[in-house]
Amino acid sequence: MLKRSRLWTVIFFVVVGLMLAPSAALAQGNVVTVLGVWGGQELEAFQKVMQAFTEKTGIEVQFEGTRDLPTVLETRLQAGNPPDVAAIPGPGAMKQYAERGALVDLSKHLDMDVLAADLGPAWIELGSYGDGFYGLMISADVKSLVWYRPDQFAAKGYEVPATWAEMEALMDQMVANGDTPWAIGVESGAASGWPATDWIEDIMLRTAGPQVYDQWVAHEIPWTDPRVKEAFEVFGKIVRNSDYVYGGPAAVLSTNFGDSVSDLFTDPPRAFMHRQASFITSFIRDANPDVVIGKDVNFFLFPPIKEEHGNPMLGAGDMLAQFNDSPAAAEFMKFMATADAQAIWVGELGKLGTNAKIDPAVYPDDVTRAMAEALAQAEIFRFDGSDSMPAAVGSGAFFEAPLMYIGGEDIDSVLEFLEHAAQEAY
Amino acid sequence: MSRAKLRRMLPRVIVNGAVILAMALWIVPTLGLFITSFRPASEVTSSGWWTVLSSPLKFTQFTIENYRSVLSTGGMTTAFRNSFIITIGGTVVPVFVAALAAFGLSKLHFGGRTFFYGLIVMMLVVPTQMTFIPVLRLYNKLSLSGTFLGLTLVHTGYGLPFAVFMLHNFFDALPDDLFQAAYIDGASVWTTFVRLAIPLSIPAIASLVIFQFLFVWNDLLVALIYLGGHESVAPLTMRLSSLVGSYGQSWHLLTAAAFVSMFVPLVVFFSLQKYFVRGILGGAVKG
Repeated sequence: MLKRSRLWTVIFFVVVGLMLAPSAALAQGNVVTVLGVWGGQELEAFQKVMQAFTEKTGIEVQFEGTRDLPTVLETRLQAGNPPDVAAIPGPGAMKQYAERGALVDLSKHLDMDVLAADLGPAWIELGSYGDGFYGLMISADVKSLVWYRPDQFAAKGYEVPATWAEMEALMDQMVANGDTPWAIGVESGAASGWPATDWIEDIMLRTAGPQVYDQWVAHEIPWTDPRVKEAFEVFGKIVRNSDYVYGGPAAVLSTNFGDSVSDLFTDPPRAFMHRQASFITSFIRDANPDVVIGKDVNFFLFPPIKEEHGNPMLGAGDMLAQFNDSPAAAEFMKFMATADAQAIWVGELGKLGTNAKIDPAVYPDDVTRAMAEALAQAEIFRFDGSDSMPAAVGSGAFFEAPLMYIGGEDIDSVLEFLEHAAQEAY
Repeated sequence: MSRAKLRRMLPRVIVNGAVILAMALWIVPTLGLFITSFRPASEVTSSGWWTVLSSPLKFTQFTIENYRSVLSTGGMTTAFRNSFIITIGGTVVPVFVAALAAFGLSKLHFGGRTFFYGLIVMMLVVPTQMTFIPVLRLYNKLSLSGTFLGLTLVHTGYGLPFAVFMLHNFFDALPDDLFQAAYIDGASVWTTFVRLAIPLSIPAIASLVIFQFLFVWNDLLVALIYLGGHESVAPLTMRLSSLVGSYGQSWHLLTAAAFVSMFVPLVVFFSLQKYFVRGILGGAVKG
């Protein structure tokens, strides 16, 4: 029995030893901690950016990645140890953090005149709140894109539509030929429904115009407004019709957004068009390694619907905000605003830089260059509405509502559900 | 076969059939995950895993590419090391403390022990998430956040109520006479604990170790909150979750990742399995 008590002694010392093991996470001195959502390829690209920063300044960057960023960030904030810098979901979240006084005003550290020249007024405005500048957009994704296969369009005699009337005619032409126009998937785990919100935002911008869009995002008009209803119905006409969308509403609800684009690449194609943001190219590459982006698949801009509203561009992006007022963190934010830093980040990923001085040559392919050009030429740019609304609506009720609507629920009761949620959240 | 024999066999056939059916239902999702982990990404998105069943011997449709990408990810060794440090600490400490506490609450007679036992068991219903902010605040003051020591302590705290509850029930089933006899022979409390209670409760302790090991090994959230996701301290679960992009790109790698991370608990489970069955039955029949 003596053996056994000796065993306990050994275990005891092992445990004590482990507990005293020095931990590397004690961030001290010249270190910036960054919290972000990036993983996989994105993480590798960001590591290259971090490396360049460390080489330039000698400041070490510690990156923590989690897709549960809002939860972790909120817990850290409440507990009093937020990361120095965090990639926040968008202007909506930025305003909430800034209101609480959690953010550092970047205009204290950044040269705003240089920044205004580099970024242009649209990006500055998105990051501003009150008198301060809190959110730095480091890259953008454009969303008003329709992906299609030029070879299939040519073979079937389909023309890229320039207006919504042409789009509707094209859809009917496809149906008459026995083809299915759209591939749509809205499943995305706990965030299911967001691809549908992008659709509705894109339509809303084109049927009601950017001013009404802004009022809608700020909840100055109710969800039951006829103009909101119209946007839902334009979307519903496509998504609730089994002739227009592959697999009908049931497939739309159950297909993952990243998988649905694969319906374009089956033989024969199950569908001919897919509306999705620029980042879909990484899904296409993952699932269909043989597809050459730019040649086998390309995009056209989501067509204008009402002439008077022109053709606006819907987009989103990666926004950095600073939570601790340390010199190292300020140095990092300064670095991320430069064209050099953004060139590494966007060059690896096919995102678009916000700094106008980025050499278009850094973009990995012609498609990305075309997107950058489309973004630069867009007369009207609007940030993703659901990312700008309070979380309870923007990533809550507004994600849920299209699912109910696609599932066949009555439009008026869906909008009333949204209005009810919005009245509590704003 | 005679009629009587058939009648005797029939219930057994039905029971066995039902058991096999239940087992099949349980195993199908895991099997699907396993097959998917060997399929290339392009096929994972275009067809279901069951399609391979029509031609299971066509080996060209399988690939080990997913496993290769998972295992060749940078920092995998560090992640394994961190997971082991966290899990060993987070298992040994709570089990050791719980054994002491349960023994005291069960076999030592002192005032208010029912009250203290009740208090500990009540902790079972406190949701872990509710404790994050206050504990993290305390940790920041004590500079324990981001350290393995801190994480070991929270895992001890979260694991203790169940561990004490389980071991207390087991100790209660040990006959008091045995301990009385030991005391008469001149044994101290510590001696009865180490030489009587512990050897007799090895099955219960083994099952507790398995439970706690699985809980800590699979944990992502607690580590993310108290340790942070930085590469030098991140456990395997965190490293694997960052294989996926922010929009869920490359999710097919998670199928292979699941089996990579499942490997260690499986080894632990099978090596402790013979105690495990006894442990669950521990105290079921008074002997």
